[in-house]
Amino acid sequence: MLTEDSRAIDTRHLGFTMSPHEECGVEEAVRIIEANGGDSVVLTLGPPEAVEQLRDAMALGIDRAIHLQTDGQEWDGEGTAAAIADAIRGEEATSGPFDIIFFGNESADSGGFQVGIRVAYALNRPCVTGLKKVTLDGANVRCEQEIEGGRDVYVVPLPAVLTVKEGLNLPRYPSVPGKMRARSKAVTVLTSARPEPRLELVRLDVPAGQGRRAESLGTGRGAATAVVDLLVKAGVI
Amino acid sequence: MNVLFLDEHNDVSRQALTLARRFGEPHSVRMDAVTPYAPDSLAAILAAAAERLEASAVVAAGTERGNEVMARLAARTRLPFAANCVAVTPGDPVTLTRMRWGGSLLEEARLHSPRPLITVAPHTIPADDGPTPAEIRVDAPHPGDLLVQVSGHVAAGSGGVSLAEAKVIVSGGRGVGSKDGFAIIEELAGLLGAAVGCSRAVTSAGWRPHTDQVGQTGTKVAPELYIACGISGATQHMAGLKGAKRILAINSDPQAPLMLNADYTVTGDLKEIVPAISAEIRKRR
Amino acid sequence: MIVAQAIALAVALVIAGALFGRRALLLYRLVRSGKPASRFDDVPARARAEAVVVVGQSKLLQRLVPGLVHAAIFWGFLVLFPTIVIGMIGAVDPHATLPWLGAQGWYALLVDVFALLVLAGVVAAFVIRKVQRPARFKGSHLGEADLILALIAGIIVTLFLWHGSQIALGLNDYPAGWAPVSSLVAGALHRPLVPFLERAAVWAHVLIILSFLVYLPYSKHLHILVAAINVYFGRTRARGRLEPIQFDRPEADVRFGSARVTDMTWKQMLDTMSCTECGRCQDVCPAYVTGKALSPKLLIMAMRDQLKTEGPKVLAANGSYTPPPIVPDAVTDDIVWDCVTCGACVRECPVGIEHIDHVIDLRRNLVMVESRFPEEAGTMLRDVDRSSNPWGKPQADRTQWAEGLGVRVLQPGEPAPDVLFWVGCAPAFDERARKAAVSTAKLMLAAGVDFAILGPREACTGDPARRMGDEYTFQRLANQNVETLNSSRVKRIVTTCPHCFNSIGKEYPDFGGNFEVIHHTEFLAGLVREGKLEPLAGEQKITYHDSCYLARHNDVRSQPRELVDAVGKAVEMPRNRERTFCCGAGGARMWMEEKRGRPINQERVREAVATGAETLAVACPFCTVMLDDGVREMGAKLQVIDLATLLAEAVEKRRNMAT
Repeated sequence: MLTEDSRAIDTRHLGFTMSPHEECGVEEAVRIIEANGGDSVVLTLGPPEAVEQLRDAMALGIDRAIHLQTDGQEWDGEGTAAAIADAIRGEEATSGPFDIIFFGNESADSGGFQVGIRVAYALNRPCVTGLKKVTLDGANVRCEQEIEGGRDVYVVPLPAVLTVKEGLNLPRYPSVPGKMRARSKAVTVLTSARPEPRLELVRLDVPAGQGRRAESLGTGRGAATAVVDLLVKAGVI
Repeated sequence: MNVLFLDEHNDVSRQALTLARRFGEPHSVRMDAVTPYAPDSLAAILAAAAERLEASAVVAAGTERGNEVMARLAARTRLPFAANCVAVTPGDPVTLTRMRWGGSLLEEARLHSPRPLITVAPHTIPADDGPTPAEIRVDAPHPGDLLVQVSGHVAAGSGGVSLAEAKVIVSGGRGVGSKDGFAIIEELAGLLGAAVGCSRAVTSAGWRPHTDQVGQTGTKVAPELYIACGISGATQHMAGLKGAKRILAINSDPQAPLMLNADYTVTGDLKEIVPAISAEIRKRR
Repeated sequence: MIVAQAIALAVALVIAGALFGRRALLLYRLVRSGKPASRFDDVPARARAEAVVVVGQSKLLQRLVPGLVHAAIFWGFLVLFPTIVIGMIGAVDPHATLPWLGAQGWYALLVDVFALLVLAGVVAAFVIRKVQRPARFKGSHLGEADLILALIAGIIVTLFLWHGSQIALGLNDYPAGWAPVSSLVAGALHRPLVPFLERAAVWAHVLIILSFLVYLPYSKHLHILVAAINVYFGRTRARGRLEPIQFDRPEADVRFGSARVTDMTWKQMLDTMSCTECGRCQDVCPAYVTGKALSPKLLIMAMRDQLKTEGPKVLAANGSYTPPPIVPDAVTDDIVWDCVTCGACVRECPVGIEHIDHVIDLRRNLVMVESRFPEEAGTMLRDVDRSSNPWGKPQADRTQWAEGLGVRVLQPGEPAPDVLFWVGCAPAFDERARKAAVSTAKLMLAAGVDFAILGPREACTGDPARRMGDEYTFQRLANQNVETLNSSRVKRIVTTCPHCFNSIGKEYPDFGGNFEVIHHTEFLAGLVREGKLEPLAGEQKITYHDSCYLARHNDVRSQPRELVDAVGKAVEMPRNRERTFCCGAGGARMWMEEKRGRPINQERVREAVATGAETLAVACPFCTVMLDDGVREMGAKLQVIDLATLLAEAVEKRRNMAT
């Protein structure tokens, strides 16, 4: 369901959660810190309510959070990446560099496929995308990227930016002590002005045909031709 | 006017090319211009070529790699980038329609850019039969752009296609009738390079292992196409199907919940229909 | 002679007392070290339980033969209790006895009769154990039981020998005619040996009793001392309610269930000490009888054994020793997850053990602290938490089932209806369970009931999360729902789901939600009784499956049967009413795979098929789905229908007849 102005989804009866890609990134960060020691920070850009997702990440084991607060307006990928890169530079100036910065490969909602890459370029660090496996190897990180029929391997030096996908790991179910501790972990709130988006959302639409009745391809074995036509059209064969 | 096109030489690239032509005369850079794959160097090549051509736009198919290279090009040239478009109207700004939420919502947007960077969502527009674009000569990549480059490969696990990641799944329910009945399901899956799935009833009956089960207490799947054969569609099963883009249901009961929730249906005996589909696929090869 | 015997008795008493006392003190200190449990309220109900369950032997007598055997021994010992003192007096001085009682003929008769009953009971118990060998004893310590039975037999035999020789020597203070059995023994004794026998028998009698006393606290027969206490401290009301965790305190003070034996409440420790390994729980456990890892008996025994080995070390180390975890050291993960929380074991247990509380505490630790549970249930937990229903459906779709029916959706600020229809997640979202919601709504509309639903403002009660052990998520949802209901000024609630019924009715009062909660079968039966609904009874044979959370946990048994009688011909399954058999979905098992043993739902369907009924009536959305699955899996000729739908059809039939 969309809001009346068709600019957003009607969220009155929806709960918000971290998207699967990002949740896997958080889990991977926690596991790396558990295995190697160190400190982890979670960062998001979003409205004040997004602090709940930061708490969720801290419940999984992240140490502290940075919240780039917005007023709920839509930011495009370019603006988002610039603000995040600034925040990371500021954080690194005081706390030292991050060895790994994880991003979800693409956002579940806008699907822009670019924020992680843009941040990597802004920070001048190597970036590997679409990862299903990450292994630390001394000063390098070995990455496995999912492709048709297997995985491609990349080895890049740290510090690096890695964008990950669901399936990288199975995120733990947060423990209740973890949830309770997350309530008292530090959240740094930053605000920055929203740049005029160069990819500007005008309106959202539900695609035609969604929610309609199924299309019958026929009955019995005679439907086989229609089925294979569909398979061809859908690019399956 | 010239438009730069990142070409993967396949169906989805031909579809994207149709849309690229809207911006002018396409010139192409091959996706495999640098081997092994090194996305930063491809982005550098595209950036230089776009300058040389004074390209009005750069277009690619919205594949994993298409989106990746274009995002790197966008970061490198500090330009906005619109991924997974299904329609564009050139102009200033460019007006376009793109997919959000994995295609469950369409966004109408304006792209304000001196050089629009666009990828085209696969299988959303038909390919035209326009001419193949001229390929651009490519210089040797700069070593600094080869830091991120494929250096090895891991073959897919021996277990065939995994359910969770399968692009196509052929799944059987109680209607398959028996353990042996899955032979026709496996045959069709083999022809499609698909994974085999099943409903809870099937694992309860011991016809298939629990690892094949799709549903709330099995694997959550997100294929492009889910072919459900003889599955009624209990809530427990449907809960695992939320990520499926398209569902084709084959069932003798047209009122089965899965038939009502599918995109396409075939009514009848799956024991006749599934082999007929396999036969038809073989015939066309 | 008297002095020597007095000294001998004193020595025996001191030794036995010391051995017994040492052990008893340890056990007492253990129980005192348990975590708090509030079981000191409601004295009248506790006294009643003591009278019915302990003195009346009500739970034991559910199984007639072994029940009578136990009752004979138990009542016998109550009657014979004063003979311990009489025996000790007699051991010191053959001419003395307990003033007054020792000289009463009626008491001599009682002793004779009950001693004989005890002996008969012991023999019968031996026959049961050695000849019949019921399966419920599988895994129990059989040798220990044999020893105890032998000791009891010894006590009785020596009693008869002593009384017989007393009578033969004329030492009896009571009239011999009042003791027919002892008199018979007296007549059979070899005269010259009688004086010697009299001394030997009374001393043997006293020493066996003292040995028995010493042996008790080291054995499973501790129940003789502890069971009565355990029954007294049992739950007196709301058997379906779980004890809430207090989260609003520092993390270190929150008890996240039981990780180690030291985390158990004192009542749970008492539970383990009360177990006599009789196996009645095991016999009725749906998990056990279908071949799964869980036996409620073995679970309690394993926890007792770990408590008895680890507890003393903890006490001795004064807190500096950390015992190993209960799971997996004493109890495997599988055992913990096999439980359907149906309560059959708790219902059956003669000594008041509350198995569900143990299982839930183990789950609470595993889920909330260790994040360890059957992987497939993770989706449900996440969806309940994030989407407010176990299938992750959009809340906006909660009213879909009611489209076109004309059901009012209560908006914030609107006046409350007479009845709030709490639909529940399964009836709102599951296409099979949905029929019950539709039928209930149609019937209420037809009867002119002023009702409304909450629509998207209704969230899962949290029951599946709570039964999984995720108390935190449950409490968040409970608080949210109580807030919604209270702000809407709701007073009466009708639910079609026994799990919602139990949670809102019995558990929400802990969170400030006090409502009159009525199950739809109760409500609809009322409408039929008042003549507001007029069904036409048919000829179909209907067998009704009692839902655990209705019939056993909440005592709703007669109203569903009124509905069955109103629409067809009732035929009962062997396991019915408060001794019903779970469908397999309880305890959040609905969201777990049944990987071990045989399917529970099929076990129940087989029982239903055997009645010859053509309809299996249900009153719970989970039973609907589970049993319907079972029927399909087995290809059984049986239709699974909610009582509301059966009633709606019967009302429709009557209406059609009239027109």
